[in-house]
Amino acid sequence: MAENQQKVTMIELFGAGVIRSVTNCGRFARFQTDSLFASAAACVSPKTYSLIWNQMLAIGVLSVPVVMITGAFVGMVLAIQAYDQLAGLGIEEHLGVLINLSVVKELGPVLAAVMLAGRVGGALTAELGTMNVTEQIMAVRSMGTDPIRYLVAPRLIACLLLTPVLIIYADFLGIIGGYLISVPYLDINSRAYWNFSASGVELWDITIGIAKGFFFGAAIAGVSCYKGFHCREGAQGVGQACTEGFVGSFIIILAIDFVLVVVFKAIYASVWPVKLLL
Amino acid sequence: MNSENNNYLITLKNLTKRFGKLAVLDDVSLSFEKGKTTVIIGPSGCGKTVLIKHIIVLLRPSEGEVYFHNERIDNLHEKQLAKVRTQMGFLFQSGALFDSMTVEENILFPVMQHTKIRDRAKLQEIAKAKLAMVGLDGFQEYYPAKLSGGQKKRVALARAIALEPEVILYDEPTTGLDPIRSDVINELIIKLKKDLGITSIVVTHDMKSATKIADRIIMLHKGRIEADGDAESIQNSPSQVVQRFIKGEISEGDIQSMQVSFEDIKTNGKK
Ligand SMILES: Nc1ncnc2c1ncn2[C@@H]1O[C@H](COP(=O)(O)OP(=O)(O)OP(=O)(O)O)[C@@H](O)[C@H]1O
Ligand SMILES: [Mg+2]
Repeated sequence: MAENQQKVTMIELFGAGVIRSVTNCGRFARFQTDSLFASAAACVSPKTYSLIWNQMLAIGVLSVPVVMITGAFVGMVLAIQAYDQLAGLGIEEHLGVLINLSVVKELGPVLAAVMLAGRVGGALTAELGTMNVTEQIMAVRSMGTDPIRYLVAPRLIACLLLTPVLIIYADFLGIIGGYLISVPYLDINSRAYWNFSASGVELWDITIGIAKGFFFGAAIAGVSCYKGFHCREGAQGVGQACTEGFVGSFIIILAIDFVLVVVFKAIYASVWPVKLLL
Repeated sequence: MNSENNNYLITLKNLTKRFGKLAVLDDVSLSFEKGKTTVIIGPSGCGKTVLIKHIIVLLRPSEGEVYFHNERIDNLHEKQLAKVRTQMGFLFQSGALFDSMTVEENILFPVMQHTKIRDRAKLQEIAKAKLAMVGLDGFQEYYPAKLSGGQKKRVALARAIALEPEVILYDEPTTGLDPIRSDVINELIIKLKKDLGITSIVVTHDMKSATKIADRIIMLHKGRIEADGDAESIQNSPSQVVQRFIKGEISEGDIQSMQVSFEDIKTNGKK
């Protein structure tokens, strides 16, 4: 009898867990679609431009230094790490291709996005979370304004537009960092370095790196704002929401990266023959 | 029935609200008359804030309906509710000022959102007028963090009346204010009713303020309506609960349970 009861509660717990996760997924999906529509509407309404502008300053301009530092170190570390292997094979002059391709295609975008998930995402969740627990979001609603349109849309648009730009900064500094280590420090011939790089890195590689930025930006803003809007009461609730927001954006960035790599590869494969013909 | 209905601006029908298993409001039916001030009193935690939030549909009922101008609003979509909400002003118990904006920007927020006024001088004039009403002209450039609790409350009140709504819902407007300031708020509520015909619904603990402003007092207790009438009939109510509340007396049961816990502390201390 007692055992029977135990089983029922186990099943109940499992059921409750399933219901909760389905509810959360639904809530998340609804929040994202609402934000998407609100952002689309915000793009065509001049009233929100000043809000977007403010967010761009907070999100974009102030992130430039950290993103540049990230990029520079990635390039420098790659140069040192890869040199020995290539030198062992006697092809150290190919170092440029390796560094620049990795920076532009993968490491620049992903690490810049992770940096932004911490810097921008954390701030977004904390700000909106605090507004939520102090009833400020409810106050926006009480005055007949849609908080998603007023609070989320400008942040989403700013993240979406500026992450690719910040990735360009990271790429740029990554390339410079790689060069500074390779040529002056490791004594690789400068002309060979750039020639191999130029032949190895295509415009396509740079483009997909930057294109990833749009998706990463949307993911960071989407997850962080959602966490802020649905955080639990109190200082602890806000702290927890920030942690979950960062971990969530990080994982989604990696997952999106994987999907995009597969997709872009397929696109490249189908476009490549056409390009050969031209 | 119908002619009677038209005097009522807001009607709650069989409103029940549950948070999980806890029933905060239990089958409450109420109507609020146009152009009158209704005061809701009741002990802390009895569901006054929850009730008043249902009127502007910041919370949705578990069961029951909410009507405004004889139209049901509790089932409306948020977008449709926006229009209803611009006709109501809501003063949050906590103030809920936007802390990233100055006092002036806070007050102008609803104005910027819902009117076409963009002239700088005109906007400043509006903010000044509203602040003067609550006795805070000159605080335009302050940030909420620099204001005292009572000042925040008054700025929040100025924001709630910025759009000159038909109905104003006040959640404890005088809590945290000194007696003179409280009376200023009382006069303001009375003046808004007399001059502009505004309907007010006021949640308060302050019996003095309640008697002064109320056309009708409703006492809420354990999620139900315990008493309903004008100030005088509440004063003379036969109900124990009401009498204790207005006199501010603790019940025998509560005294006893306090006594018991003190005894416990004493005996534990001796050991
Ligand atoms: N969002 C919520 N989730 C769960 N429970 C809630 C929520 N809001 C209110 N409650 C519960 O509802 C009850 C009534 O709360 P309410 O804020 O309406 O009290 P009140 O009458 O306004 O009290 P006070 O005079 O102290 O402000 C409380 O027991 C509270 O725990
Ligand atoms: Mg309350």
